[in-house]
Amino acid sequence: MKHRVRIVVAASLVAATLQLTGCATNAKSDAMVATPAVAVHKSSADVSVAVSGGKETTKMGASQVSNDNFAQALRDSITQSGLFSKVADSGRYKLTAFIGKVDQPVMGFSMTVKMEVSYTLVDTSSGKTVWTENVANEYTAKASAAFAGITRLRLANEGAAKGNIQKAISDISTLSL
Amino acid sequence: MKSLLTRIAAALAVVFVLCACATTNSNRAPGADLSKLKSFYVVRTPEDERGIEKLIAKRLNALGFPSTSGDAQVPPTKVDGIVTYNDRWMWDITMYMIRLDIEVRDGATGAILANGQVMRPSLQRKSPEGMVEETLGVVLK
Repeated sequence: MKHRVRIVVAASLVAATLQLTGCATNAKSDAMVATPAVAVHKSSADVSVAVSGGKETTKMGASQVSNDNFAQALRDSITQSGLFSKVADSGRYKLTAFIGKVDQPVMGFSMTVKMEVSYTLVDTSSGKTVWTENVANEYTAKASAAFAGITRLRLANEGAAKGNIQKAISDISTLSL
Repeated sequence: MKSLLTRIAAALAVVFVLCACATTNSNRAPGADLSKLKSFYVVRTPEDERGIEKLIAKRLNALGFPSTSGDAQVPPTKVDGIVTYNDRWMWDITMYMIRLDIEVRDGATGAILANGQVMRPSLQRKSPEGMVEETLGVVLK
């Protein structure tokens, strides 16, 4: 009987540890796609997107925002907004985004991620920078958002990235390209 | 029962100790040329009450970059670069800095040109001066 109790306790401890820790995952691109609320000023030209400064999530580390997923979210956001005619591998305009800061909490119930991304839009035909902006924002994933801390952190990453892209697209939409 | 719990706790402790490694990370914006930055202003992080901004300015001065620090978000005099940072502390017998993030920004626009991060868990801890030296080394390399 004692042996059985020991096994149950050990199994419970392992299950609890897995539930509380688990493996962190990258912020998902589809959760970072912006939904612009304002009508955008559309350009008939195409655009390419390049992202740097992001990080891959490691098995033992915290959830991160990767270059690939942020770039995909930026591409999808531009496509959905109709800001440019299309997003291509190379286009008339080149939008670069440098993820300069993703400030994450080490732990906590409500998790706030502060993000800063430097965007630059270059007209490749003239080589001129037509727009550059350092977009800073933050997003809080409340304790009720998810039970596991790693999930709340991922949600906070995704919310911050989504808000950041949203602001960038709103700003670009005011340009007459 | 007690011995089983003790064994599990010991095993978990060993796993955490073995997994805890010092890590460094840095990034630079496309086309950023830090060699053009000759003078800096370090903005004190509002939550910092340990004077890390002074340590950063002191280290930059030692590296040959005239630097000042303060609470103002905008440099009081014109500088080539603005430095911001975020220091994280943990307690293990004593308080120690577990992580330091430093961003180097354009003095005119405030855009981040480069960043660096050093994370050192308890067993690999360094003094605040050591953390500042290592992180600046990572950012400016």
